[in-house]
Amino acid sequence: MAKWDYDGPILEIDKLSISFFTRTREIPAVMEFSCVVQPGEALGLVGESGCGKSTVALGVMQDLGVNGRIVGGSIKFKGRDLNKMGTAELQGIRGSEIAMIYQEPMASLNPAMRIGQQLMEVPMIHERISEKDAYARALEVVRDVKLPDPERIMRSYPHQLSGGQQQRIVIAMALMSKPALLILDEPTTALDVTVEAAVVQLVKDLGKKYGTSMLFISHNLGLVLETCDRICVMYSGEAVETGKIEDVFEEMRHPYTEALFRSIPLPGADKTTRPLKSIPGNFPLPHERPNGCNFGPRCDYFTAGLCDAAAIPMVELASGDRHASRCLRINDIDWDAPMVAAVQKEKTKIGKVVLKMDDLRKYYEVNANALFGGSGTRKVVKANETLSFEAREGETLAIVGESGCGKSTFAKVLMGLETATSGQIMLFDENIQSTPIEKRNTDTVSSVQMVFQNPIDTLNPSMTVGRQIIRALEIFKVGKSDAERKERMLVLLDLVKLPRAFADRMPRQLSGGQKQRVGIARAFAGGAKVVVADEPVSALDVSVQAAVTDLLMEIQREQGTTLLFISHDLSIVRYLSDRVMVMYLGHVVELGTTDQVFSPPYHPYTEALLSAVPIADTRVKKRHIVLEGDIPSAMNPPPGCPFQTRCRWKSQVAGGLCDIEVPPVRFLADGHQIKCHLPDDVLTGMEPVITIAAE
Amino acid sequence: MDPLTWTGSLGSILNPALGLVAVLLVVAIVAVIVLSFFAAPVTLQSNPDGTISAKTGISGLADSAFRILVLALCAVFLAYIVGGVLLPYGDAGIIGAMAKRFLPVWIALIALFALSFQFKRKLGLYGKLFDSTVGMVGLGLVMFWVFTAIFGAMFDLIGTHDALSQISGLKNELPGIPVPNAADEGLFPHYLLGGDDQARDVFSRMVQGSGIVIAIAPLATLFAFMVGITLGLPAGYYGGLIDTIISFCANLILAFPVILLFYLLVTPEIVDTGIPSYMAAVLFLFPIIFMAVLLNSRYHTQPSFRTPLLIGVLGVMIYLYLVGISQADTALNFLPGSLDLFDIEPGILVVFVSVVFVNSPTSFRIVRGLALDLRTRDYVAAAQTRGEQAWYVMLWEILPNARGPLIVDFCLRIGYTTILLGTLGFFGLGLAPDSPDWGSTINAGRTLLSIYPHPALPPAIALLTMVLGLNLLADGLREESLKD
Repeated sequence: MAKWDYDGPILEIDKLSISFFTRTREIPAVMEFSCVVQPGEALGLVGESGCGKSTVALGVMQDLGVNGRIVGGSIKFKGRDLNKMGTAELQGIRGSEIAMIYQEPMASLNPAMRIGQQLMEVPMIHERISEKDAYARALEVVRDVKLPDPERIMRSYPHQLSGGQQQRIVIAMALMSKPALLILDEPTTALDVTVEAAVVQLVKDLGKKYGTSMLFISHNLGLVLETCDRICVMYSGEAVETGKIEDVFEEMRHPYTEALFRSIPLPGADKTTRPLKSIPGNFPLPHERPNGCNFGPRCDYFTAGLCDAAAIPMVELASGDRHASRCLRINDIDWDAPMVAAVQKEKTKIGKVVLKMDDLRKYYEVNANALFGGSGTRKVVKANETLSFEAREGETLAIVGESGCGKSTFAKVLMGLETATSGQIMLFDENIQSTPIEKRNTDTVSSVQMVFQNPIDTLNPSMTVGRQIIRALEIFKVGKSDAERKERMLVLLDLVKLPRAFADRMPRQLSGGQKQRVGIARAFAGGAKVVVADEPVSALDVSVQAAVTDLLMEIQREQGTTLLFISHDLSIVRYLSDRVMVMYLGHVVELGTTDQVFSPPYHPYTEALLSAVPIADTRVKKRHIVLEGDIPSAMNPPPGCPFQTRCRWKSQVAGGLCDIEVPPVRFLADGHQIKCHLPDDVLTGMEPVITIAAE
Repeated sequence: MDPLTWTGSLGSILNPALGLVAVLLVVAIVAVIVLSFFAAPVTLQSNPDGTISAKTGISGLADSAFRILVLALCAVFLAYIVGGVLLPYGDAGIIGAMAKRFLPVWIALIALFALSFQFKRKLGLYGKLFDSTVGMVGLGLVMFWVFTAIFGAMFDLIGTHDALSQISGLKNELPGIPVPNAADEGLFPHYLLGGDDQARDVFSRMVQGSGIVIAIAPLATLFAFMVGITLGLPAGYYGGLIDTIISFCANLILAFPVILLFYLLVTPEIVDTGIPSYMAAVLFLFPIIFMAVLLNSRYHTQPSFRTPLLIGVLGVMIYLYLVGISQADTALNFLPGSLDLFDIEPGILVVFVSVVFVNSPTSFRIVRGLALDLRTRDYVAAAQTRGEQAWYVMLWEILPNARGPLIVDFCLRIGYTTILLGTLGFFGLGLAPDSPDWGSTINAGRTLLSIYPHPALPPAIALLTMVLGLNLLADGLREESLKD
C-alpha cells in the first residue's frame, strides 16, 4: 500500500476503550483513552504494570489477540481510522508506516535467519524494491544505528550479537521502511544501564534524523524525561494526566502523579531525614475498580461523596500546553505544599565488623570439551578478582555493577554454594571461605541469608506461604514444637507487615510486592545477621519499591542487620546505602562512602554509570557520557585494566599503561579506594556528573 | 427363543433418525469446509452492553447447523441407551440389552459427573477439567472402562456368561444368538456379541478383559514413573557425570527394539534363569527408595516424628515388596508359605516387569528435562542457601512444580502402556492363551477375521475407545493446566 500524505497529527486516539473477554467476564483494560501525537513528537506513556499502557500500543497495531476487542472510540492514523481497516490494509501499514520495538530483542529476531536477510525483507515486502537496493538500504541503516563493522553484522545470526547489539538491529529493522510512527514498548528494560543509555541516545538521535513520531512506553519516569516531549500518565486503564514533560514534571496536577514522584528516590531523598513515601494500598484489579476515581481509595486528598460519585472526566487546564488532568479537586489541592515528611528515623548505629573479605578470588575452569575433559585446553574465568572489603553491623553496603561483573558469584561464595579459590571470608571470627554450605553449622547458615530478585520465582508455587516460612524455621532449629514455630511464623508475618491470614495463601494469590515481603520474612527466620539482597526491588513497580525498601531499612534498624544490597540502580543505592562498592568484570573499581562515590573524583566507570542512570527530575543537569561498545565477556577479558576498552579517559594515562597492567588499588581519602591509573591531578580535576539547579 | 436383532423395536424409529442426522451432518461438514474458502469468515463483534455476538452470514449458518446436528447425533445415541435401559429385555435388541447390562456403570458415571460438577471449583486441576469438552469426553471414556473393570471384572455384575466356559453349538455364532436351553440351566438367554472360535461369549470376555488392562496399565505406568523420578531428579539436578551415565543407560534401553526385548524376557529359558524375577526385585525397590527419601528429607528436622513414620511406612512397603517378589517355583522364593500373602501370576509379573522396564527411560527423560529447567529458579536457590539437603530440594521444591507436565504425560503413557499390553497379548507373550485380555482376544479372533469379524472387533473397539479417552483426557488436562 502506498504511503499517503497528511498534514494533521500522525496519531489521534479518541476515547479508546479496549476490553479482554474471558469465560466468566469482560475485563476492561483501557477506558476512554485519548491522546494526540504530532509529527516528529515523542509521547511517553508511563504507568505501573497492569495499567494498560501496552494494551494501548497493541490496540494501535490492531493486534489484540483472540480475547481482546476494541469496544469503543477511534484510532486515527494520519487521518484514517485503523479500526475500520481490513486485514490487507493493516498488513500494508504495519511495519511500513507503524513499526514496533519490543522489550526482548532476542524474541523479536528470527534466530534462523541472518541479520542482513531479516533487514532486507522489510523494504522488499512493503516497497517491492530489488534485492540490491534493499541491501544498500540495510547497510545504511546498520551504520545509522552505530554498529561496528556493518558488513560482518549483516552476515551474522542474532545469537552471535550481544543484547545491546540485538536491540540496535531491532531498531534498525523498525526504521528500514522509514515509518511515520514508532512504538517502543519498554525497549531497554532487558539491557544494562550503560547499554540502555547508549540505546536511548540512539533512539533520540534517529527520531530527529528521520523525523519519526514516537510512542514511548515505559515505567521509568527518568527515561521518559530524557526521550520524550510529552507525557501521558496512566493509572488502572485510564489516562490520569497528560501534558508537556516540563508541565507534568514541574506542575503536576494529579494526586497519582504526585504520589508517583514522591515514591521514587530522587537526589535529595535520604533514608533517615527524607524517607520515600510509598503509595498506600494496592493497585485495583480490573474487575474491582471503585466507583468514580480509580485512584480514590489510595489518594490522600480523597473526599467521600465527590470522588466516588461518578466517572471523572479529563479536564483541560488553563496553564501549560494541552495539559489535562483527571481530578475533581485540582483547584482545592495545594500543589506547592512541601511533602509531609514521614516520621524522621534515627540513623542506625554502625557497630563492629561483621563480615570481612580479604583478597577473595573465585576462578572457574571451563573445559573446552566437556565430555572428554582433562586433556583439552582449559580456560580460566576470573569471576572475582582480589575482592577486599569489610561490612559492619547495621551498615548497608551497596554492590553496584552490570551483568557479568561478578556480583552473583560473590554472593554464591559468601552463601557457601561455591567455595573460594583463594583469599579469606571472615564472618564474625570464623573463616568460611572454603566451607561449603553442607558443612556449615546451623548458626552460620541462618546468620547469612539472601533475598532474591525475581518475585515470581522467589517462593515455591506449590507450598503455602506459612509452610515455607515454617520450613525455614525447622531447618534453622528455631522453636521446640510445631505450635511454637507456627507462632514464630505469624510474628515474622507481622514483621514484614503482612496480614496473618496470608499464612494459608498460595504464592500465586499474592502480588509481587507481597511475595517479596514473604521472601524477606523467610530470610530473617533464623535471625539473620548478614542479608544479601540481590536486586530485591528491581522487578517491582515504583510505588511498591519504596514500601519494600523501607521495610528492609526498618528491619535493619530494629535488628542491626548488615545489608549487602546488590543493585544496578544508582538512584536507590544513593538513597539507602552507607557505603558503595562498584564492580566491573570481577574487579572492585571503586569503594567508599556514598558521598565519596557519588561525587568526584570518580573512577571512569562510576562516572559513566552515574551519567547513564535516568533521573526523573527536571532540576537535575547531567553530563552525557555514553560508553561505546558492550561489556567484554568474562571468558575473554581485555589485558590490563578491565575497563580500558570503553574508558574515555584512557588517553590521559601516559605510556599506554592501561593496556598492559591492571591498576593497583589507590587510597584517595579516608576509606575511599579506587582502581585506576589516572594521575592525581586528572582525578581531582573531574567535574561532577550530576548538578542540581538551584531552585 | 429368537435371536436378537441389533436394535429391536426401538430401531424402527431411531434407525431412520440416526441415518437422517448422519447424512445431514456430513452435508454440514462439507458445507463448512467449502464455505471457508469462499464466504466471509464469522466475525465477532462486541456490543455496547459488554457481550460478544457473532456476525452471522452464510458461514455462520453452516456453523450453527453443524453444532445442532452434532448435538442431535448425541441425542440419538442417548436415546438408544436410555431406551435400552427402560424397555423390557429383548425389545431394544442387542444394543438395548448391553445398555441394560452396563446399568451400574451408567449410574456410577452419572454420580461421578454430578458430584464433580457440583464441586468443580474446589477440586483444583481435576475440577478444571469440567470446563473443557475434550477433557470431559476423555474422562467419560476412561471412567466408563474403569467402572466396567470394577463392576464387571471385580463384582461380575455386567458379564453375562463365564469368560472361559464354552457352550456347544455357539462356536463363531453371530451376535444376538440365543443360548440353547438357557432357561433350564439358568443361563443368560443370549450371546449378546456372539460366540468366538471356542464357543465362548465375546461380550463377557471383553468385560472381563477390561479388568486386566485397567489393573496393569496404570500400575505399571506408576512404577515406571517412580523409577523415572528417582533417577531423573538427581540426573537433572546434579548434571555432570551422574547425568551422563544414567542418560546413557536410558538411551541404551530406548535404542533396543522393544518387541525383541519382550520376546527375550518371556522365553521360558530366560524365565528359568530368573532374570524377570531379579528385574522385578530391582524395579520394585524404587517406590521404597522414593518414599524413604521423600519422608526423610521432609521430616529429618523432627526425629521424634520421623522415625516412627519411617518405620511404619517402610515396614509395610518392604513387607509387600518381599511378598511381591517372592514367588513359588521361581528363582526368588525365600518367604515361607505362611508369610507369603499372594503370588503374582508369573505371566502377569513378566508382562508387568517388561512394561515398567521399557517405560522408565522415557519418564526418566521427561523428569530430567523438567529438573534441569526448574533447578535454576530462585526458590531452589533459597532452599540451597538455607542449607537444605539435595533430596529435599529435588523432591519437595522441584518435583511438586513439575506436576503439571508429569500428570499429562502420565495419562498419555497409560494409553501407550495399554496399547503395549495389547501388543504383548496379540503376540501371545506372557499371559495365558485363554486369557480374556483385549490383546489376546484380538489375536484369537484374527484367524477367521474375513469370515467372522465379530469376535475380534469388540475388544479392538474397547482398546480404541480406552486409549482415545486417555489421550483426550491428557489433552484436556494440558489445556486446562496452561490456563491458570
